[in-house]
Amino acid sequence: MLTNKSEELLREAEQIVAQCERCGNCLTACPLFKVVNIERVGPRGKNILTRALAQGGVEPDSKALDVVNFCLLCRSCVEACPSKLKTDAAMVNVRQYLMDKAGGPGIKYKTLGSVMKSRNVVKMAAGMLAVLRKTGLNCLVPYGMAPEEYTREQLPGASSGPAAFGKQAAPAEIELTAASKVAYFYGCGMRMMFPEAAAQTVEILKSVTRPMLKDNHCCGLPHLGHGLRGDFLELAKKNIALFEDADVVVSDCASCSGTLKHIAEYFADDAEWKDRAAAFSRKVMDLSEYLVKAGYRPRQRVEARLTYHDSCHLGRGQGVKTQPRELLKAAGNFVEMTDADTCCGGAGSFHMDYPDIAAKILASKRGNIEKTGADVVVASCPVCLVQMTKAAEASGGKFKAMHISQVI
Amino acid sequence: MISEEIKKSLRRAVGAENVLDSDIDRFGYSYDSSSMPILPAYKPDVVVLPTTAEEVSKVMAIAFAHGIPVTPRGAASNRTGGSVPLEGGIVLSLDRMTKILELDEDNMMVTTEPGVRTIDLYNYCAAKGLFFPPDPASWKVSTIGGNIAENAGGMRAVKYGVVSDYVMALEVVLADGTILNTGGKAIKNVTGYDLKHLFTGSEGTLGIITKATLKLIPMPKQRGTLQIMFKSLDAACATIQKMLQENIVPAAAEVMDKTSLDIVSKKRKVILDPVIESCAIIEIDGEDQDALDAQAKRIEAVASALGAVNFQVAQSQSESDELWAMRRGLSQAVAALAPNRIGEDIAVPRGSFPEVVRRIKKLGEKYDLTIVVYGHAGDGNLHPTVLCDYTDAELMERVHKAIDGIFEAALAVGGTLSGEHGIGISKKPYIVQALGQAGVETMKVIKQALDPKGILNPGKIW
Ligand SMILES: Cc1cc2nc3c(=O)[nH]c(=O)nc-3n(C[C@H](O)[C@H](O)[C@H](O)COP(=O)(O)OP(=O)(O)OC[C@H]3O[C@@H](n4cnc5c(N)ncnc54)[C@H](O)[C@@H]3O)c2cc1C
Ligand code: SF4
Ligand code: SF4
Repeated sequence: MLTNKSEELLREAEQIVAQCERCGNCLTACPLFKVVNIERVGPRGKNILTRALAQGGVEPDSKALDVVNFCLLCRSCVEACPSKLKTDAAMVNVRQYLMDKAGGPGIKYKTLGSVMKSRNVVKMAAGMLAVLRKTGLNCLVPYGMAPEEYTREQLPGASSGPAAFGKQAAPAEIELTAASKVAYFYGCGMRMMFPEAAAQTVEILKSVTRPMLKDNHCCGLPHLGHGLRGDFLELAKKNIALFEDADVVVSDCASCSGTLKHIAEYFADDAEWKDRAAAFSRKVMDLSEYLVKAGYRPRQRVEARLTYHDSCHLGRGQGVKTQPRELLKAAGNFVEMTDADTCCGGAGSFHMDYPDIAAKILASKRGNIEKTGADVVVASCPVCLVQMTKAAEASGGKFKAMHISQVI
Repeated sequence: MISEEIKKSLRRAVGAENVLDSDIDRFGYSYDSSSMPILPAYKPDVVVLPTTAEEVSKVMAIAFAHGIPVTPRGAASNRTGGSVPLEGGIVLSLDRMTKILELDEDNMMVTTEPGVRTIDLYNYCAAKGLFFPPDPASWKVSTIGGNIAENAGGMRAVKYGVVSDYVMALEVVLADGTILNTGGKAIKNVTGYDLKHLFTGSEGTLGIITKATLKLIPMPKQRGTLQIMFKSLDAACATIQKMLQENIVPAAAEVMDKTSLDIVSKKRKVILDPVIESCAIIEIDGEDQDALDAQAKRIEAVASALGAVNFQVAQSQSESDELWAMRRGLSQAVAALAPNRIGEDIAVPRGSFPEVVRRIKKLGEKYDLTIVVYGHAGDGNLHPTVLCDYTDAELMERVHKAIDGIFEAALAVGGTLSGEHGIGISKKPYIVQALGQAGVETMKVIKQALDPKGILNPGKIW
């Protein structure tokens, strides 16, 4: 069904891309264009296509959907654009528009969407993966991600999905006091693939505060990214209500915190939810953001060389770049890698939808990690961590991949 | 329309994965960075992405045999419609020919394929202490082939010239697929017609550039940045002229008018002294810091004699970045002011810079338009930018009249239509005025001789 809402989304996208000068400055910044240099793949191509779609010059068909789906939503183009044009936001809108036009997302995303909507199913899936996870791998080395087939099924909903937002979420302005009630947001990706890392997060939080542990719902990003906006809004409301008694909501998944920080924008026109959503978004913090503010010192210092991969949703998406580095510098010998903030090719379900392309993107990331000579590459997002783990495997054990909570 | 049969032979020539013909891909190669509307789209029938000169030659042979139009394309960053396939046919995208073939340090020359991005070539040479000076503002995206085809230049043109000053030899695939080599590494190469310079700036209408040997110079060891504020635009221009007369040649000399300054300072939230009417940003380079200091001192003397109100020398890289940010932020700040804008690119004798700016300002008043003027005063290249809104027909009519007036103003003082962006489609109507009937006819004879079927980038230049 094509509702007024989806037409409105297309119009919003058109307004964004109307500022595109076609200068091409963004082209070489796009990790996908680097691998597939065809105009439609680059940000300029995507923007001009959007304009043509809105003006009726290109058919709104599955081919157009393929173009807008083939995007990491990593925002590298936004940074490179002289006008900071929000290609990623336009793509999310056009995805929703085209999916609505085609009668909603395909069966794959619909199924995944409903899996991710149910807390119980997420937990069940997590349990299943836990059983399947090979034994003998200690919590410091998250090779223990589930076998390919299972992650393939569950991963899209598992965590990041696309960075579905028009602008950077400002780092939280929350004042922390000893009395602040801190809640942990347990992301689906962390729950299903990296429960050990999540347990470490909780342990760290316990060392500085008394974290509230809630049975939260999915942040809704997978739904937003795959044309299930309605579901996203529904989940958001549930989470808003659930965390009303917390002062701070800490997440150890870049994608969850990024999404939650933006929830307010989706309720700006909703008289009933507007204020509650704004209050909720304001209290969301990424783990490292929170820890630095709370004055946390890493539990131990190791001699290992550590390097850091900036998740798109955390670095570009939330402007949280210095805090994880600060913590890592205190925890070990930190070495910066070249292009630390370039997308790893994970991008929610992208790495499963386009495995060859994702592999090529990851290969250059691996090269950069290897060049640092690091023993461990650290990430703050489960999908990035899956990618980093693949890179670690491909490197033949030159380095390991870990979540930040496992290192600090 | 191109038949399936022909597409098949194109696929054989370059590999199936390098031929695109879906509707969406054809749309993607229908526009460039000019202000031409995107719809109705001039879609090519097929996009071909060759990787070697031999493949280009095969493609041209096929096109020639069937009389198919071919529009070469680099990064489509040109501002004048040059890579828009006006008559359909083949878009020949050269951005997969990305090998730098040889760096000849002894002769200080580099040989490269056309799809290499300008900045990549610069960095490659810079790593060896060698300098490829042409620096179009689009250098992060534009290709060397596109630069040669447009005879591009940049901010450093005042001291270091434009691309043609560096072209030593070219490999060109002609309309019928013949591969031609012209020029060479000998500096004194005066045998026969100077074909390499004929192809340089030919905007894809005479042949496809598939390889280029370019001259390099030693990399200046030190760079410095100065910012000088003036009470009038005339004073800024006069300062630059006087500097040049005194043989102080800046690497770049950019001038912004009052409107530009107002826009940038608003955007950057700085308050400028109201007496300031213009600003010059100057880059100097040299062997060592002493050389820079000496230049800066001389420039300061010239500027203050001509009434400069503020003179600032960047003390660090970050200060220099800060000063340049004024200039770099301009285009973006201007873009935010109106739904659309048309940026022009005229070049005039240096001495006429203030006069042309005055004429342009008058046009703005006459047609009730905001026209921002900034540019490379050092080489007389101005970018008057007219703010507009494509959806407002009445406004656009005034905009087009103003643009006609801008070109008239340039020609009236002995200037020309393009300093660096080429003619393409957008400046065609003015070409006779600029080159004279005989000039255009002579060029047409050359075109006819090299491209008898008129398949190479048809509809461009005239
Ligand atoms: C923001 C911005 C700033 C700019 N600043 C400058 C500037 O400072 N100075 C300047 O000079 N230009 C500037 N330009 C214009 C543009 O970048 C240049 O004209 C550039 O040289 C075009 O290179 P390209 O690779 O994008 O070529 P394209 O735009 O793809 O093509 C340009 C022309 O060359 C032809 N062509 C391309 N490759 C070949 C080839 N291998 N053989 C034969 N013909 C070919 C095409 O048919 C077309 O006619 C700017 C453009 C933008 C968008
Ligand atoms: S968001 Fe990332 S992948 Fe998508 S167009 Fe921009 S740079 Fe490319
Ligand atoms: S850099 Fe910005 S304005 Fe330029 S083509 Fe890309 S999106 Fe458009």
